[in-house]
Amino acid sequence: MVGLDVVLQALLSGLFMGSVYALIAIGFTLVFGVTDIVNFAHGHLVMAAMFVTYVLFKSAKLDPYLSLVIVLPLFFGLGALLYVLVIQRIVDAPHSAHMMVTLGVLLLLENLANLLFGGDLRGVTTTYTTSSLVVGPVAVPLARAGAAVVSLLAVGALAVFLRRTALGKAIRAAANNREGAALVGVDVPRVYLISFSLGTMAAALAGAVIVPFSLVSPFVGHEFILKAFVIAVLGGLGSVGGALAGGLLIGFVEALSSLYISASLGNAIVFAILIAVLLYRPWGIFGQAKV
Amino acid sequence: MSALLSVRGVAKRFGGLQALSNVTFGVGDREIVGVIGPNGAGKTTLFNVITGVYAPDSGRVTLRGMDVTGWAPHRICRLGAARTFQIGKPFAALTVLQTVRIGSLNRIADMAGATTHALGVLEQVGLAAKRDVEGRHLTVIERKRLELARALATGPSLLLLDEVAAGLRPPEIQEMIALVRRIAAGGVSVLIIEHVLEAVMRLSARIVVLNYGEVIAEGSPESLVNDPRVIEAYLGEAYSLA
Amino acid sequence: MSARLALGLAALAAAAAAPLVAGQHLLTAFIVALHAAYMALAWNVAAGYAGQFSLGHSLFYGIGAYASTMLYLKLGLTPWAGMFAGAVLAGLVGVALALGVYRYNVRGIFFALVTLGAAEVAKGLADNWDWIKGPVGILLTMKNAPGEFFFLRREPYYYVALAMVVAMILISLRLERSRLGQYFLAVREDEAAAEASGVDTHRAKTVAIGLSAALTAFAGSFYAQFYLYISPDTVLVFEPQLTMMLGTMVGGAGTALGPVLGSVLFSGLGEALRNLPFENTRQVVIGSKLVYAILLIVILIYLPGGLITLGRRSRRA
Repeated sequence: MVGLDVVLQALLSGLFMGSVYALIAIGFTLVFGVTDIVNFAHGHLVMAAMFVTYVLFKSAKLDPYLSLVIVLPLFFGLGALLYVLVIQRIVDAPHSAHMMVTLGVLLLLENLANLLFGGDLRGVTTTYTTSSLVVGPVAVPLARAGAAVVSLLAVGALAVFLRRTALGKAIRAAANNREGAALVGVDVPRVYLISFSLGTMAAALAGAVIVPFSLVSPFVGHEFILKAFVIAVLGGLGSVGGALAGGLLIGFVEALSSLYISASLGNAIVFAILIAVLLYRPWGIFGQAKV
Repeated sequence: MSALLSVRGVAKRFGGLQALSNVTFGVGDREIVGVIGPNGAGKTTLFNVITGVYAPDSGRVTLRGMDVTGWAPHRICRLGAARTFQIGKPFAALTVLQTVRIGSLNRIADMAGATTHALGVLEQVGLAAKRDVEGRHLTVIERKRLELARALATGPSLLLLDEVAAGLRPPEIQEMIALVRRIAAGGVSVLIIEHVLEAVMRLSARIVVLNYGEVIAEGSPESLVNDPRVIEAYLGEAYSLA
Repeated sequence: MSARLALGLAALAAAAAAPLVAGQHLLTAFIVALHAAYMALAWNVAAGYAGQFSLGHSLFYGIGAYASTMLYLKLGLTPWAGMFAGAVLAGLVGVALALGVYRYNVRGIFFALVTLGAAEVAKGLADNWDWIKGPVGILLTMKNAPGEFFFLRREPYYYVALAMVVAMILISLRLERSRLGQYFLAVREDEAAAEASGVDTHRAKTVAIGLSAALTAFAGSFYAQFYLYISPDTVLVFEPQLTMMLGTMVGGAGTALGPVLGSVLFSGLGEALRNLPFENTRQVVIGSKLVYAILLIVILIYLPGGLITLGRRSRRA
């Protein structure tokens, strides 16, 4: 029988990872909601940011949190570049083309990383990598807690940005109705560019803050994109609040299923939930049915 | 008059919008009936209910004596009611011949026979020269003709035309009217929704007027032109009633 | 028409003669290319012709691999027969999946996601199923037993793979000229218009998935007999799915020759490079994958119909 402290510990770990997943999924769902593009390379953008952060730490002893001042603008720019060079040209193509082209970007990033770093798992050791704070029956791992706090702050900041700022409102208008937004003067191509860049930056932020406690290889992106896709669908594609709830849910499900059921079934369980949701509530657990 | 199509007490609601309420009318053999009404009156919803895209919330639809309420669209098509779409939905990557032949395959199972049949239909609507052109390369009128041919190829006893004249230039409208007349003369009944009143007034023997999802008038084109209810429904659009 | 037939027969003759001049390494590359072409053509039935963009075909591939292997190991049934049993099983699973998915009107990217999920669930189950040896996988013994689909040399595998591709091309061409194939195209282009043309779209989609699934299973059985090792990590992962998609989309979806062209280019060249005696093979292989990724993006942006459309354009010009 599993003790209560172990369960609490697992729930805490689920909360922390779930927050990071939520941030990754929000980047993905923002891009989909606005541009209607399913970005299969999204998880590999997380991976790319992990490698950049890793290199900055190894070569310049830059702490992953400090490296954000480089990583975030860099990936905003990378997102913009990717959009202009590739994504922009397929916005009006069918979904199958979206999937294949972004799969091409995924393969590009994966093989580039493999060429540069090889396939082995790599990690860094910061001063706080193994530190934890004992609170009652549980130990709070600091690196994970930090990643969760930053992720949640970023999710909050994004939500405020989308609701309060003029640009944020333009993004939401374009997501709701592209033609309508264009008619009332929204510069739709610019909004698409910015949304894609923001989505990429969200992936990069998540990638950077998990470096202190995660190992990176060219192949870790697959795990992230699967989770992001599932979370985005659970939350209702395009919904920021839904993605947050979905991220936490998947974090908990993952933590608890590794506790009670075989860890190798974790993905299967996540997908079984996903299939059930898609069949019965295709607009997501937390989304609303469209009339 | 034996009823080919009969719609009785049909209602359909979308969320807070009552798109159709208690709609009752019929189409007889070899008859051309028009459905008119201002934008949002429920014309296209009515078509969608008749052709099985939506099941009505209440009421019955019978076709050739069979109760088809709630049937899937392809079954209704096979029983003999074929519709065109308001916004022409050509199979973008398929040729004109392929598109029409898919309709023909409904009645003729072998490809050679269906091809011959489809070519005959293309001849009838004046698209034979375009047989190998892909749907996406067609002009507006060609798309409308293709829609007509696709529906006609399924061998219907009732043809439902959704805005076949909309978006056409006046001479093209004349061509379309003549074409529909020829088809009807071949023994096919026609139910026609039309925003271009000229077309529907000239084609139809009888017209059903919809407003806010209800039948507000029914009768010959002549009797309706001066009907105050019809004029009121079209208020603001009355100029087009000429 | 007869010119095309002559060209086809010439290509077939050249392919049949290839083992006479090719060494074992090159022959392996040919087999990999043919195997990829077959898989791509099988996926193409659902994705290319009927527009049902499944991302879960690894499931059917895995069923084929495990069915023929388990029937051989447990019942002594020759894989020549076992592969047909696998195809039937995969076809049934495909039909069941399609019925569920279409019953709830799951379309587009959601369809892609559900099928991907189905394959992931299957992998999770396979990893935890002791009877099929879980994640450890199953090793078949190398031997010479033609009656049981085991050969010591590569040539027989090559001819089997070639026969499979030829059969699959013929099936595709037959499909293109059949009522069912026309219905597939109608469903792909526009479901509402297809229904309005009298096409039972649910039925057409279900048949497309079932047929494509059954055909894909044969590839899984071939994989097991050729590599003599299967595990959830080799046959139930995204890799086979990726092979099918790359070949089909690069060559030209919804055509009988496009997937062959794309597969030969992508999978065949990759395998050939892997076996060339470079000083740093690893870098060359990864580098070539990098080039492929860029090619994939460029081709899909500028030639959305695939490489096969190049040939068509020049023929018209």
